[in-house]
Amino acid sequence: MVDFLSTPLLVTVVLGSVGLGIPVIDALKKERGSNNKLYSAIAFGALIIAIGIVIIRVLSGAVMPAAAFGPGVLSDDLFGSFFAVALLIVSIMVTASSWNYMKGKANPAAYYSLILLSSIGMVLIGYSTDLVMLFVAWELMSLPTYALAAFSKRDPISNEAAIKYFMFGALSSAILVFAIGLVYGITGTTNIGGAIQGLAHLQKDLIPVGLLAIALFIAGFGFKIGLVPFHMWLPDAYEGAPTTIGALLAAGTKKAGFAAALRVIVLGMFVLHPDWTFTLAVIAIFTMTLGNFAALVQKSVPRILAYSSIAQAGYILIGFALAPYSNQALTGSLFYIINHAVMKSAGFIAAAAVATALAGYSLEKYRGLGHRMPITAIALSISLLSLAGVPPLVGFWSKLVVFGAAINSGSIVAWAPYLAIAGLLNSALSLGYYAWIIKKMYMEQGPDMTKVKEPRAIAAVLIFAIIFMVGFGIWYAPVLEFASKAVPHFGNIASVVSNGSSSSSHGVKSASVASSNSSAAGLRSIAVVVRSHT
Amino acid sequence: MVEITGFGGIAVNVWLVWILPFIGAAIIAAVARAGIKIRDYTAVGFALASAVSATTLIPLAFSGNEVHSQVNWIAVLHLKAGVLGDPLSVIMANLVAWISFLIFVYSTGYMHGERDLTRYWFFMLFFIGSMQLVVLSDNLLMLFFGWEGVGLASYALVGFWYTDRKKDFVGTEGHRAGGIAMWASPSHAGAKAFLMTKAGDTMMLAGMFLIFAYSGTFGFKELLQNQGWAVQMAHQNLLVPAAILLFGGAIGKSAQFPLNEWLLEAMTGPASVSALIHAATMVKAGVFLVARIAPLFFALAAFGMTQFFEVVAWVGAFTAFLLASQAIANPEIKKVLAYSTGSQIGYMMMAIGIAGLSTNFVDGYTAGFFQLISHAMFKAALFMGAGALLHVVGSRFMSDMGGMRKYMRKTYIFMFLAAMSLAAAPLITLGFWSKDAIFAAVLGSGYVHSLPLFIMAFVVAIMTAFYTFRMIGMSFFGKKSQHLEELEKAGHHPHEVRPVVWVPFAILAVATIAIGVVGFAFGAQLQHIFSGYLANYFGITQQKQLQLLQNPATTTQLVKPLTETKLFLGLNPYAAAASFGAFAIGGFLGYMFYIARKIDPQIISKNFVTRGIWQFLYNRWYLNSALYWGAVIGPVAIYRIIWRYFELTVMEGISHAFEFSMASFSRVVKAGQTGITQTYLFVFGVGIMIIIMLLLL
Repeated sequence: MVDFLSTPLLVTVVLGSVGLGIPVIDALKKERGSNNKLYSAIAFGALIIAIGIVIIRVLSGAVMPAAAFGPGVLSDDLFGSFFAVALLIVSIMVTASSWNYMKGKANPAAYYSLILLSSIGMVLIGYSTDLVMLFVAWELMSLPTYALAAFSKRDPISNEAAIKYFMFGALSSAILVFAIGLVYGITGTTNIGGAIQGLAHLQKDLIPVGLLAIALFIAGFGFKIGLVPFHMWLPDAYEGAPTTIGALLAAGTKKAGFAAALRVIVLGMFVLHPDWTFTLAVIAIFTMTLGNFAALVQKSVPRILAYSSIAQAGYILIGFALAPYSNQALTGSLFYIINHAVMKSAGFIAAAAVATALAGYSLEKYRGLGHRMPITAIALSISLLSLAGVPPLVGFWSKLVVFGAAINSGSIVAWAPYLAIAGLLNSALSLGYYAWIIKKMYMEQGPDMTKVKEPRAIAAVLIFAIIFMVGFGIWYAPVLEFASKAVPHFGNIASVVSNGSSSSSHGVKSASVASSNSSAAGLRSIAVVVRSHT
Repeated sequence: MVEITGFGGIAVNVWLVWILPFIGAAIIAAVARAGIKIRDYTAVGFALASAVSATTLIPLAFSGNEVHSQVNWIAVLHLKAGVLGDPLSVIMANLVAWISFLIFVYSTGYMHGERDLTRYWFFMLFFIGSMQLVVLSDNLLMLFFGWEGVGLASYALVGFWYTDRKKDFVGTEGHRAGGIAMWASPSHAGAKAFLMTKAGDTMMLAGMFLIFAYSGTFGFKELLQNQGWAVQMAHQNLLVPAAILLFGGAIGKSAQFPLNEWLLEAMTGPASVSALIHAATMVKAGVFLVARIAPLFFALAAFGMTQFFEVVAWVGAFTAFLLASQAIANPEIKKVLAYSTGSQIGYMMMAIGIAGLSTNFVDGYTAGFFQLISHAMFKAALFMGAGALLHVVGSRFMSDMGGMRKYMRKTYIFMFLAAMSLAAAPLITLGFWSKDAIFAAVLGSGYVHSLPLFIMAFVVAIMTAFYTFRMIGMSFFGKKSQHLEELEKAGHHPHEVRPVVWVPFAILAVATIAIGVVGFAFGAQLQHIFSGYLANYFGITQQKQLQLLQNPATTTQLVKPLTETKLFLGLNPYAAAASFGAFAIGGFLGYMFYIARKIDPQIISKNFVTRGIWQFLYNRWYLNSALYWGAVIGPVAIYRIIWRYFELTVMEGISHAFEFSMASFSRVVKAGQTGITQTYLFVFGVGIMIIIMLLLL
């Protein structure tokens, strides 16, 4: 049954009708001039209404707590709402800053329409409880972004970026379909809740097939998240795409990838194999290290930000890897995700402001920016410091929660504290290029030191981001509380895993754990199979 | 004992008291675009709003209730942010808020026409917001944030005239002592204030975290509720050191010995800033901290906290003596007032210290806080008056003034009234009653060394009366100085300042007398409030104290109080006699030298011994010179050696090697990013293989 008053459907209706309506308005208009401002305002309004719906439904308690699995394809739960808020903030920031960025560029109607349609996809991913639904939402999110990445159609770099992005997108979609097919084949259902239960009771000789499916899921989602080694396309695409779209990709679609990974990989892998966490931990360390090292000697700011977003994905993945061992881990990841969404959008949008005002992306253009474009420079500095994890900005608390979880898990899995150590070393390393940009902006003089008029809408977006990063840095309790309520309940499962590994019994041990979410349609229990490898 | 928890009801007002000034500071730059007048009024408006919300809390203080409101803050460490409106903090918050408001009003006139006033207002608002955070915080950590905010704002305001014009310096140019220049520029003074208070802050931070390590909380209420941490710390002999470290913060902020030197250079700021620093905010933060933690530590008296209170009392007494003696020999009006502040704060510290050593905690505690209140009022008035004088005369030296009472009638009258409070003129001034309360507390304590303490306090009182009369006499009485005559020749006639400048300090000066007339009742009421506060929240009552004293675990050495508390008209006769005597002796000498001018002050330079003493006092006991040699010049010389033989060779080498290796590795990684799609696809494929293998492992 589908409840027509549920949050995902309301958001879909609002964004869908406006998203499809904008091109219609454009077609009906007599004069063919650029109506960038009009469409930007309409899209902005629609997104504000959408985020308003989500927030009102959360505050009024109309959504189910935490992540719920039901027989339907969508579940109106807090987990989805959390991602909806994070992703819609990104879309709003992107749309508002496009007011300036898209000025005088062709086809604004299509541009905003595509952003809205992609936003629907992102939001729906968070709410999906069915693999087919998830895949549909995934494609709804991805397809508009292929077109958006190629939006500057006369620019060969943009075209190259879009082609690469599209090829990898197609490959990963195929991989995802394959993975879904495998899951369906061995469990007979595409419902995620059902599939998890099915995987838990899998016959022993089918387990490798399940693992193959999980590996394919990691590859498919990891492409969007930018995990090493599926990251190769990412710097090219983020750099080549219009900079505002870079923000949408880095802060938006990437976070949707995390939502999907949480729904499927973490929950699904969990029933198969306890040591999958180690795999994720290895990927996490490679991802953050490679991202940071590659960023060190780059010359273009969007490219630095792209590599930085690879590194940040590594930090977030620490929380995923530790999900079974610490209650704090996934909370930390979600907390990190929403903060990273704002930090990274701010970074890209500041780069967009520079691109708009100074027509360039190169680091050399940023010399003396602190004098030339004060708001942009301060926003970029704060976002970079926050990404590096300097207190008291939001990035610091995100890292604190995630790394803290890693250290606390040390009593259960011996390698967990090394994740924190790797994260800390990487954070220190990352300051090498973050501080480099700040130094260029404030301590060096450019050839031209005249003041530049800062784009108004972008400045407003950046001021919002500053308030978010500093304000929630000083008082982060509300955001963290939202994140901790949205997290799928792993508390009970974590204790089972820790018991299982300490008892070191051979063979298959099965435990039934009452899931603490009490939604009527929710999955009552998750059966856990723990194969101990001692 | 109604406790209100959460944001509901009056709790919002407690939050607003400190948040409003911060909001004002945040928007002041934007408001400044609308116009200079609007900006000034906005700043004053926010100060007023904060003061009004503080006023709404007064009924709470008198009814003995408290507001305790908490929200989650740093969840990882289970820390909560909160405000605590109990009688102590409510009285303090009102004092801060209203005096700051008057200073803000004064500033609109006094700072009129200065450049960069947006910066001035920003830091003034930031200043009082931080101070109110110190006052109203319910835990040490938030208090520390406010504490540092106060430090930052004072740095910025002391160095407000950062262009270092000669007229903004303090000290006599060319005056050196022990090879160290004794005059300072505003920017130098700002940095000095910041660094010296940092030394105290570091100690405080260490003390805070030491306590946190054992108790797991920073909250004042939580620390009191569960005293297991104190047992553990006392067991390891860490409790007293931790308490003294905390007191170290107060020493720095309140300019007590040995961190007293910054206070004098801090006179480079505008007079309104000096008034704010000396009356209501900065230096009082230290006293407030001690007043905040002293009952807590006293409630832990079973663990032998005597040493802590002894340190507080003796540091206070010595500072009072040290700075009062220096005030006698200084030629600058604002610096005399600055010395006087440090000295008066020494009194407060001594009173709170003696409270913890006596059989009756509330006496000393009330006396200390009473002194804080009266000092805040008269010192704010004196600084604002001195600011008016400086403004008119154009010189900070009292020798450039003289006879000013003819030209600035109102300033003269109101400064005289406030000065009488500082000199503790008997029976009608607020300063008299608070000083009397301190004398009584010292005499009435059973502390074994209370006689030397009392003698010090008495001598300081004589010196205080003397330098007060000296200051008033030199600036308002006698003949016109050469400087004034030159001014008049040049066509500048000294004239009274505008009402917006003199009315604020007139209000305060009149208030010191108005309250002073009923000072006795005021003190009794304060005593009543605090005895209820201490009994209800800390369980400190006289019976309880006697029980504690019978407990062999306590190390308090009890002797008979110097005076039995046989009260004469509610006064301790010995204390009252001492107060009268001190005012009479000091006042008479000051009058003869500087007002009646019967004796020429030049006689001291004729005698070898008196000249030596004068030199010693004028050179600040050579403490400033010792500070620069020991804490600046010495360490820098050592650092030069380290820099030459270690930094330049070893560290630079490591740094370059590290940089080179990182950059090389980064280039390797970069080379992997070929830009060729086939490579990317290949890596993608290999990635899937590796993951499958990892999973099947």
